[in-house]
Formats: sequence, structure tokens, C-alpha cells
Amino acid sequence: MSKVVLELENVNKTFGRRKVIDNISLSVKEGEVYGFLGPNGSGKTTTIKMILNLINRDSGIIKVNGYDTKKQFEQAMECIGGIVENPDMYKYMSGLDNLKLHARLRNIDIKRIYEVLKLVELNGRENDKVGKYSLGMKQRLGLALTLLHKPKVLILDEPTNGLDPAGIKKLRDILKEIAHKEGVAVFVSSHILAEMQQMCDKVAVLDNGKIVKIEEISDQKEEETEQVELRVKNIDKTIKILKEKFNIEAKTEKEIINISLSTKLLPEVVKELAISDVEIKAVIPKNHTLEDIFFDATEKENNKK
Amino acid sequence: MKIFKLFIDENIKTWKKLSTKIMIIAIILSLFAVLTLVKFMEKTEENLLVYNSDNSTGENEKEFLEREIDFYESQLKNEKLDEETRLVTERNLEMYKLYLEYDISPYNNTWENELVDYIVEQKINGQNTDETVALLKNKNYNDYIEYQKKLLKQQLDNNTISEQEYNDELTILELKGKYEIGKNYDQESYWKRNTIQKIETAQNSLRTGINKETNKLINAEEKKDLEDSIKLNMYRLENNIPDSNNGSNTNYRMRFELLAPMFSIAVISIAIIVIAGGTISNEISTGTIKFWALTPNKRWKIMTAKLLSILFYIIILVLITSLLSVFIANVFFAEDGETYLYCQNGEVKEIGNTLYTIEYYFVKAIPIVIFALFAVMLSTITRNTAVAVSFSVALYIGNGIAMQIINQFITKDWVKFIPFNNLNLTTKIFPNATDMTSMMFGTNFATSTSLIFSLAVLGVCAFLMLVTMYDSFNKRDII
Ligand SMILES: Nc1ncnc2c1ncn2[C@@H]1O[C@H](COP(=O)(O)OP(=O)(O)OP(=O)(O)O)[C@@H](O)[C@H]1O
Ligand SMILES: [Mg+2]
Repeated sequence: MSKVVLELENVNKTFGRRKVIDNISLSVKEGEVYGFLGPNGSGKTTTIKMILNLINRDSGIIKVNGYDTKKQFEQAMECIGGIVENPDMYKYMSGLDNLKLHARLRNIDIKRIYEVLKLVELNGRENDKVGKYSLGMKQRLGLALTLLHKPKVLILDEPTNGLDPAGIKKLRDILKEIAHKEGVAVFVSSHILAEMQQMCDKVAVLDNGKIVKIEEISDQKEEETEQVELRVKNIDKTIKILKEKFNIEAKTEKEIINISLSTKLLPEVVKELAISDVEIKAVIPKNHTLEDIFFDATEKENNKK
Repeated sequence: MKIFKLFIDENIKTWKKLSTKIMIIAIILSLFAVLTLVKFMEKTEENLLVYNSDNSTGENEKEFLEREIDFYESQLKNEKLDEETRLVTERNLEMYKLYLEYDISPYNNTWENELVDYIVEQKINGQNTDETVALLKNKNYNDYIEYQKKLLKQQLDNNTISEQEYNDELTILELKGKYEIGKNYDQESYWKRNTIQKIETAQNSLRTGINKETNKLINAEEKKDLEDSIKLNMYRLENNIPDSNNGSNTNYRMRFELLAPMFSIAVISIAIIVIAGGTISNEISTGTIKFWALTPNKRWKIMTAKLLSILFYIIILVLITSLLSVFIANVFFAEDGETYLYCQNGEVKEIGNTLYTIEYYFVKAIPIVIFALFAVMLSTITRNTAVAVSFSVALYIGNGIAMQIINQFITKDWVKFIPFNNLNLTTKIFPNATDMTSMMFGTNFATSTSLIFSLAVLGVCAFLMLVTMYDSFNKRDII
């Protein structure tokens, strides 16, 4: 089993009278992309700030690579890199100069800077002032900055914010690569569910400062049934076939039939419908699994109250 | 070493900022503004002098004397003149006659004028004036000095003066003879005359044991100061080093050297306060504080690096300004600049103009450190740049006048402990130099404390501010 490099144990935080983080515990292993999901104001950023020691925690233990972030601050910070909310840089300096400031503090040579710039596809623009960068470019520069010293733990707070689809895909690829190939533990917060699903190995769902669910994504894909949307001409006939031959309950919504079935069964269903002369206009798989987890979890919490 | 790297980073960050460059230009401009001002003074005062001397020489002067003599003679014919006026009139008549006869300017103030006064006195008292008139006729300055020495000797022999007094007076006369003080009436000899006067006053105080200004008995320390001042002033005469601190001075370079630090240090102060007031608060509001907080550096190191970079910035600015100031003075003024003299173990020492200017700038810049610390402290506590900068600037500009008022109304001893009463260190480190601040505000019981005392007060003040800012920055959440 791979090593746990980020560990939170019974962490609490109150702002004034408001309990923002309520006894959170989680652990992230080497080579794992860990998603941190939660609605606005649930405490994602607060947790990340505590991990990075930007704010004090009221109680609990946070360990990075085995070092307590409070007691062994410097050792812990050596192994960690992170972006909180926005990757703020000195706007009047070029991207390269910003990276150089950091590189000096961490004894990193210029070659590594160019390597990272290339990785985030900013090479060619490194001499422009950061103030002139687009939001996405700033995000990339922020990522470059955190990757500079090859951290063991990478903490990102909504990193896809402001990135275009190509940028998001690139980010996903980078994160997957450094996690799976270099064994970096990546801890990402986000509320874009589809993103998380494609990139994370594990997600924790946070609501109102509490972790309400922790799920392994890869396992879950195989177990769960798939949601499929059918668009056909002969609705009644289709429903009949589904009911009789496959014992599937279909829900219709206007012209659209929603069914849930095991992934293996889908080709057979389509074949059967085609043989029965049903005019199939479209079969659309709907990957709503994470969304379901999310809403299930957060709604359950809300219903309790 | 981590602090050193942080320090380098802080400096790079500061120097890449556009506002930093603008500040440097503003400081340089302030020096040139002072230069322009002094040059303007020089021009206007030059015209004034030319106008004066036109009016006081040549034909006009003679006509003036003749007219005056006519006037006094006609007055004396008036029978109804009372005794006192008659005496004054006779005196003036005698004086103007001598002026006319020996071609002496009534506007001057040379040894000849002095001698004329003396002769008139003799005539009124019915004494023999042959010897003195001969002196006037020969127009030999040295003979005049010799004559005075003779008179002095007589006084000693008649026991009208003490041995000590005789020696003191003799020294003065010898100095006068040696450096021809009072021989001519010009700007050159003006400072010498002031200097010899200072020597005389000091001798007098030492002899009588009473400070002439305060009318109090002098203590051991004052005695030493007086002795030193005599040595200093003699050294001035000997080496022809004028004192910038004497009323009418046409040495415009010295005027520049006096005004330039005042203006440029004020500009530097404001610039530094603006930078210092944003130290923490700006970084928090732009989020760049994370840039530092996310590196493996403890917060106190980050803070220390920031403070050191501000200190470094002050040093660089003051160094640039002082060097530029020396350069401007050398290029734009023909005169010699001030050479600072001081006494150490009874020996007179010199600090050359360049070195002295630089040292003076640095001493004058010490208060900047205090105000910078104050601005950083406010920036850390309030996390609001506008508040930090405006409060600090207000304090910087207002403290002089505020303390002036406070010192006037509160004459309790504790007023001395207010840090602002201890900011003017130039007068304490360079007691023999002219200082604009003390010229403007004067000194009082609260500001005339010793150097050690002032440094201690400022040190305690700085320490308290440091403790406050470190504590706040270490303990509070960063964002
Ligand atoms: N400095 C602060 N002082 C007081 N309350 C705060 C502070 N920072 C955050 N909070 C509160 O803590 C709660 C959690 O905030 P947090 O920023 O962690 O949410 P989040 O999960 O990151 O939300 P989002 O998705 O909008 O970024 C919110 O209710 C917020 O109002
Ligand atoms: Mg957030």
C-alpha cells in the first residue's frame, strides 16, 4: 500500500461563533488525485488554508509527509505546494521574474523553471508582465509556481476556474501524470462535478464543514448502473419492450425516455429495439454518478435538519 | 541564510516597481529644486549688494559727509541747544571731520572707524591725540594693534585689569593682528570678526565663571565646552575654515548644504512611509502575501526580511542623495563647503566636506527608521494601507509643531520621554553644526537632552513597535 502523505485528523475551525470546519478527518496517499467537493461556503477553502498554515486551526492534527504543519512548519512546507483561491503574483513583474523569486527561495535552477513553463504551456509568454496575462494564463502560472519544487503534496483550490476546455484537459492530464507517474498526492477542491469525475481517484464531499461522504471513483464506475437517455419515435412500444424483455422501469419525460441499467446490458437493449422496428433517434449515456453522490450526500444532510 | 534569500527577493520586488523609480526621481528633483532656490537667492542678493555699494562709495559719500558737517556746525550755532544734545552733536562733528579728512567711509566698520571713535573720545576728554591721529594718518593696521597692546600693558601696570584679563586680551589682539581682522570691511572678514567675538565671549565666561547668556554659574561640562569652543574657533582662523553658522553669509554653497538635507530627507521620509505603510497590508490585499507564506520560511523570517529591505532601501536612498548633494555642490558652487570641526581630548579634528555631508545625511535620516517602523506596525495591525500611510505621514509632518505646542504647555519632566522630542539627533551628534530645525523651533528643556538619552528613548520605542508587529504577524491568520 502506498504511503499516506497528507493527513487531517479531527480538524476544527470556528470563525467567531460559527463552526466552519467540524471535525474533519481524511488522508491522501502518494499518487492519488483526491477530490474535495462541496457547495459554496462549505469550508473547502478554509480547509485548504489550514493545511497550508495560512490560518490557524482550533484543534486537530494536520500532517504533511509525516511532519506536523504547525510544529515542523519548515519541513512540512518543503514538501507542499499550493494555490488558494487565486494564484496571486506580482502583477508588475513578468511571469518568469515571479517564478525566479520563488526559485531563489527554494534553490531551484533556471532549467527547472523553463521545464515547468513548458509543462503548463506558458513558454513564449514568460517575459510578459503578469498584469497582462489572462485569467487562465495566471492559473497556469500559479500551477507552474507550485510545481517548481516538485512537491510531494499538491493542494489546489478550484484550479479549473478560468481555464478553457483545452486548458482544463491539459490541467487534468498534468495532474494525472504527476500523480500517477511521479507519485505526487494531489488534493483538488472544485465544484465542477464532471471535472472531478474524470480526474479524481477519490472524492470527499464536504457540506457545512462536515465530510458527508468519501468515495473511490474507479470502483464505483463498475458497480453502478448507468443512466441512459433514449430518444425514439415509438415511445409506448419501447416502454413495453423494456418492461417485458428486460424488466426495466422507464421514466418518460415528454419525448425522452430515461432508464437506468447495467452497462453490459445496453448493447442488447439497443439491438432488441432495432429488431423490433423501433426508430431510435439517439442513445445518450448520462454520467451523473458524481452528481448523484453529491446531491444525495448534501440533500441527506439538509433533510436531517 | 534563508533570511538573506528572502531579503534579496524583497529587494528585487521593490526595485522592479514603477513607484520606486518615480520616488528616486522625486528625491533627485528635490535636490535640484533646492539648488534652483539657492541660486535664485544668490542672484537677488547679489543685485542688492551691488546696489548698496554703488550708493556708499565715491562722490556721494564725500558729499554726504560735507552736508552732515555743515548741518552739525549750524546746529552748534544754535544757542538754545541743551547740554546733552550739544555733546552728541560735537561728538558727531568731530567724527565726520575725521572721516572726511582721512578718507574713511562712514558706512564701514573697520579698525579705522574704531580708531576714529577712540580719538573722538580722547578729544572730548581733553587728552592728547597726537599719537592716535598719527596712526590714522599712517593707515598702518599693525601699528594700530601695537598701540592697543601698549594701552593694555598700561592697564595691567595700573592694576585696572587682572593678569588673566591681560593675557586674554593680548591673545585676542595677537589674533587680530595675525589674521588682520578688522583691517578691511568685506564679507571675507565678517565671519572672522564673528569668530573672534565668540572667542572673547568664551574667555569672558571662563574668567568670570558665569555664563553670559543664562547668567548662571558654569559647571565642569560647560567649562570644557567653552575651552573646546575657543580651540575650535582659533583653529578656524588658523586654517581659514569659515563657519556656516554666522548671520550674514555669502557662502551659498553652505546655504545649499543646509537646505538640501532638509528637503530631500523630507521627500525620502514620505517615500519610505508610503512603502513601509504597504508592507503587509498591500500584500494581504493583493494576495501576494501567500507567495511568501507558502514557502518554507517562518513568518518572523518573512517579516525580518521585509524590515531589512526597507532599511536597505533607506540606506541606498540616503547614500544616493548625499553623494548627489556633494556632487551638485561641487559642480554648481565655487566656494568651499562646510568642513566640520570638533574637539576630541582637547584636540581639534576635521571632517572633510564630502564625508561630513554624507554623515550628516545619515544622522538626519535616523528618524525615518522610526517612522518607517511605525508605518509597518500600522500596516500589520490594521492591514489597511491607506490608514497606515496617512497616519504615519500625518505624524511625520505634524510632530514638530505638535511637540512645540506640547512643550510649551507641559513643563513636566516626563515630556522628555516622548519619542518625538528626541528625533533631532543632528544637533546632538554634530553640536557645532548649524541645524535648521533648531533654528526654526529653537531648543528647550525637552529637546536638549543628551544623545544617549535620546537614542535610548528611540530604541525603546522601536523595540515596542517591533514586538507589536512581529506578534501580530506571527499569530494572526494571514488571509
Ligand atoms: N476570514 C473569515 N472570517 C469569517 N468567516 C469566514 C472567513 N473565511 C471564511 N469564512 C466562512 O467560512 C465558511 C466557509 O468558507 P470557505 O471559503 O471555506 O468556503 P468554500 O467551500 O471555499 O466556498 P466556495 O466554493 O464559495 O469557494 C463560509 O461560511 C465563510 O463565510
Ligand atoms: Mg473557496
